[in-house]
Amino acid sequence: MNNSAIQTLEAAAQMLMAPPNMVTSEQRHQAESVFLEFRSTKNPYQLCREILEKSTSDYVLFEAAGLIKSALIREWSLLSDNDIISLREYLLSYLLNKDTPPFLREKLLQTIAIIIKRGSIDDGGRERKVLLGELEKIILSSPINQQKLACALILAIMQEYAITVKSADVGLIWEVHFRLKKSFEALDLKRIFRFTVGVLEQIVRSGHRPEGEQALLTKQLLTIVETVLCWSHVSPLLSKRLIGAFEAIYESDTAPALRLSLNWRDTIMQPELLSLFFEIHMYVRSNPDLASPSLICLVQLASLSGVVVSVSNLKQQYLENYVNSFLNMMTYIQPFEREMLGISDIYRRLIQFFSPPMIAATPPAFLQNLTTLTCHCIRGAVMEERVNDDTVWRESLNKFLHTWSSIVHDTDGYSHETLLNPCIEIFNTYIQCRLAPPDGTRGAEINDDDLKDDLEEDERKLHSNVLLTIGAIARKAPAHCCHVLFTLLQDRSKRLESQLQLMHMGKLPVSGGEQLINLFEDLHWILMITGHFLAVDCTEGETVMIPQEIIQYSISENANLDASLRYLVGESTNTENVDPVLKLVGEILRISAWECAALEAGLGTVFSPELSATISWLLKIWSNSYLMPQPSVYSEMSPILECAFGRSSRGASWLVSRLAARSAACLRHLSTQPVAATQAIQLLTTLAHTQHKQNPLYSCEEFVALVAWEASGSNLPGALRKELHRAFAIATTYAEGDVRNRLLASTVALQEKLMNIINMESDTEPVRSMLADTLDCFVGVTDGVHEVGTMDEQFMMLIGALDKIPAIIFRYHNYPGVVLPALNFLSKSAKRMLHSVQPQNVTKFLEICNTTFEVYMRWNSGKISTIPQDAEEEAYEDICALMEVICSTARSGAERGVGDTCARGLRLLLPLITPPLLALPTLAHHAYRMLKDLDAADQLTNLPIEDFNMVVTALRVGLTAVSCDVSTLCCDTIVGLSNKARTLGDDNPYALSLLTLAELLLMLIIKMEIPPDSIPAAGAAIYALTCVKPALLEGLARQLIEAFAVNDPANVPRLEEAFGVLTNGVLFDGLRAHKLRFQDNFDKFLASVHGFLIVK
Amino acid sequence: MGDIEDTHFETGDSGASATFPMQCSALRKNGFVMLKGRPCKIVEMSTSKTGKHGHAKVHLVGIDIFNGKKYEDICPSTHNMDVPHVKREDYQLTDISDDGYLTLMADNGDLREDLKIPDGDLGTQLRSDFDSGKELLCTVLKSCGEECVIAVKANTALDK
Repeated sequence: MNNSAIQTLEAAAQMLMAPPNMVTSEQRHQAESVFLEFRSTKNPYQLCREILEKSTSDYVLFEAAGLIKSALIREWSLLSDNDIISLREYLLSYLLNKDTPPFLREKLLQTIAIIIKRGSIDDGGRERKVLLGELEKIILSSPINQQKLACALILAIMQEYAITVKSADVGLIWEVHFRLKKSFEALDLKRIFRFTVGVLEQIVRSGHRPEGEQALLTKQLLTIVETVLCWSHVSPLLSKRLIGAFEAIYESDTAPALRLSLNWRDTIMQPELLSLFFEIHMYVRSNPDLASPSLICLVQLASLSGVVVSVSNLKQQYLENYVNSFLNMMTYIQPFEREMLGISDIYRRLIQFFSPPMIAATPPAFLQNLTTLTCHCIRGAVMEERVNDDTVWRESLNKFLHTWSSIVHDTDGYSHETLLNPCIEIFNTYIQCRLAPPDGTRGAEINDDDLKDDLEEDERKLHSNVLLTIGAIARKAPAHCCHVLFTLLQDRSKRLESQLQLMHMGKLPVSGGEQLINLFEDLHWILMITGHFLAVDCTEGETVMIPQEIIQYSISENANLDASLRYLVGESTNTENVDPVLKLVGEILRISAWECAALEAGLGTVFSPELSATISWLLKIWSNSYLMPQPSVYSEMSPILECAFGRSSRGASWLVSRLAARSAACLRHLSTQPVAATQAIQLLTTLAHTQHKQNPLYSCEEFVALVAWEASGSNLPGALRKELHRAFAIATTYAEGDVRNRLLASTVALQEKLMNIINMESDTEPVRSMLADTLDCFVGVTDGVHEVGTMDEQFMMLIGALDKIPAIIFRYHNYPGVVLPALNFLSKSAKRMLHSVQPQNVTKFLEICNTTFEVYMRWNSGKISTIPQDAEEEAYEDICALMEVICSTARSGAERGVGDTCARGLRLLLPLITPPLLALPTLAHHAYRMLKDLDAADQLTNLPIEDFNMVVTALRVGLTAVSCDVSTLCCDTIVGLSNKARTLGDDNPYALSLLTLAELLLMLIIKMEIPPDSIPAAGAAIYALTCVKPALLEGLARQLIEAFAVNDPANVPRLEEAFGVLTNGVLFDGLRAHKLRFQDNFDKFLASVHGFLIVK
Repeated sequence: MGDIEDTHFETGDSGASATFPMQCSALRKNGFVMLKGRPCKIVEMSTSKTGKHGHAKVHLVGIDIFNGKKYEDICPSTHNMDVPHVKREDYQLTDISDDGYLTLMADNGDLREDLKIPDGDLGTQLRSDFDSGKELLCTVLKSCGEECVIAVKANTALDK
């Protein structure tokens, strides 16, 4: 009988594997259903054995192996011990004696591993111990094929025990998975390690080169050792979520640290062990396949920590041992390119896991090696940037620099004197790689005409990680680095000056020749390095202190104040007795001045926008730390820096006006170059941010002129104008009195412009474009309002413009390009200001919102448009903006009238958000975020019941969404709504409507059709819904069981039992204790239901 | 597209140019631009440049506002591009002729019968709504001498 079954399966497999033109779709369908039925066969073990013996079809063999595995998991509790043992023995002997294809072998090995793991629940690992013994015997004495298989089985078993949170072996609750892992760790992991290392030692000692089959076996042995060393030894005291996070690390590229328990001490502390591992690496390193796991072993061994080395001298001893073996290896080998990443990782881990004093006590060769390798990597990385897309060198360099970052910041590690020369060496190497010959080694610019997309990343951000550390390293040798940077800057600034002058006088053609490009590139890099040397780059609005090393260096130089200031402002060129920081800043200002002069002289077309951006960037991060520093935060301060840049110093006002003038010049002449213009505005924004009442910017002539320029119609592109108005608004926030009024002129002008446009008769494209730009500028203004204290006043300034929004939307309803910025202006105002304006202003604002909603709906409800398919998301941007208005208003926390406005908006909006729209990811995210926010603000249950039903329908759509984000938002909203519905009583129409979601939700959970990460939220939602009507869950369970009784009567008792577990000891009263207990029960329920229902 | 080299159409009614120039850097996403001689809505805008120290060029991707086709172009950010005048006007639908022409009434009462019923779902919907007796408002998109109905809604704004 089985023979005919096998024939049927083989015939079906042939259908499935046949080319599309040979079979009809009906035949294919039929073949599929044969396998679907096969997969749910009960007690299939005998049949599968026969298939394994007799069938020649790969597909059927694969299906049979899969069926054995899933049937075992499903039917484990129904099988007798003897059946299981005989099955396991059969599978092992089958694998040992047959040459099976890899796909089948992996599946069967995993099945044996699952049997072993499941069995160890009852026998405490006895069977496993016996099996491991057998496998060890095979590895020591059998033919090499069997040895490899034994290794593969050991690996499969380890894999099965390693993962607990996302284990493939469903049907066990997580606690059991975890207990089994811990017991495996305690009983067998060390044994596997010792045995495997022993075998590897024999192989190394044999002296034969690892080749052919022997190499494959060696690789497997190395992989076993690697797996042991990368094992996540998680503390049982952590929560499941944290353990899940640890296991996610285990599965990722970077393994967790080697944290071993006390019983490993005898093994890991053996002095020969470390030297053996280095010996193994030297033995295999020429073979990339073997070198990779052996290098990972070395990396892992560099991270030894935990109780096993809790006694300090043990740690010291281990480190000495490790470093000696490591240095010994390094004297023999010249690292391959592919080894750099591993070696950099070894350094990083040693520095991370051993204390700075211990590291500082290592032999000098350790630091020297690190320096040499880092320099080597710098050269490799710079070269790699130019030639190919590989990132090996850059990744290795990042790791080395990570190490250096720790070394230069640790105060109790290496002394300043020890670090001085290595730091100088690294700094010199880096700067050389970046400069053109003769000073440096940078290759010629690749002058291709290919367009480089700017999209990737800003040049200054792209290198900021590396430069941050290079800057920190440079500050360890400030005298040397300052001198080098100054000399280079001075030289290049002179060259720039002469080049530009020659061009201006017509003695050089006005074009970017190779020489000029090289000069730009040199300056670009010198300035970037100088920037990171002087200050630390940070996000806008965050103030960073002047680095301590720089202050100390400035103090130690004890320069002459007068000479320094004269040099800074350009009155003198004599550098004698000039403070080093002022010397650098003076030179930067000179370069900036040359650029501005070139722009004014009409040489804008030759000057590099990238270099312009870098100059603005450097001045930005420099002024953020050095200009008008707050004296109280410094324990020591250089008197010269204080006098030159301190608050109310003349130097500070002089600098501010220079910088403002620079920004203005860049904006006037480089407005078409986005990188340069953006950095210029950011410089201005940083200056405006200096929260200090006497900030000279607010009254500085150049800044006021810029405000006037913009007010008179600057012609800047819209995006830049928006940012500029933001900067103005920030300044206005902090300014006072007359100064403030002058700054407000920009907003007043904007207001007037808006009125003029609205009053224009003609409705043409240029007018609409101007209107959209103006509205965008208002968004910028709103975005720049910062101080709560002055918010009301600024809001009053804007209310006139806000008031026009409904009329604008009425008139331009057919033009999304206008409607969108108008709605954005509204939502931004609600978000930034509504929370702290006077009640009468809130009322006024809400009136505007209400009218806006009505106008919008009047033109858009029931509208059907033609929308090109790939522009759908954009076509609905206005709906998203409208939802944003509602959300921001709901979240504002203002009280009176907010609820009414939100409900009104939602009522109008709900009919527009149809299920097809909810299939668009961005829109869905906005919509469900809005529902959750409104629920949190108690707005949903205030809706009329018809509208509430629409909300429930939307939630129904959201639950079935594929995105975890959306389904979690829906579940959270259901929890909130249920908590409110509970107070209304279960026969209330709102509660009834809400409860209709329960059945869908439960079915989605049981069928695993909800994204796994939303499962906890879904459990909480089921509990909350049941709290509304305690009989709910029981009713649903009964329905489900009755449905099962028809199709699958055998599983009815197990399902009944599972539901028993779910409600065991839980009261549906919404109290925290019961909620938590329900969550626990829910996990068990899922484990058991998924265990016997899986049909994947 | 080769036959429409000159993008400056003369519109029949006003005699004014169908396009106006705008600096490339001032264009905005969701705005309009002429690409390969066709009026397009800008759906993507990015900057690129030749060499690190070169000047910016703007890369534009647009969708033809009439037929939904995608076009691309690249232009130095300092240069001017042509921007089409785009108009969208609402008309009341008063009749549909047997050969599929719409009778549309403008705000000022003028009638026109030169536009066909649109293709696709929109056209089907329009016809069935009209047949069931609904008062309909059609939005007509007009640019560079071309016109078509792009949206339709039940007329709740008769009092406009």
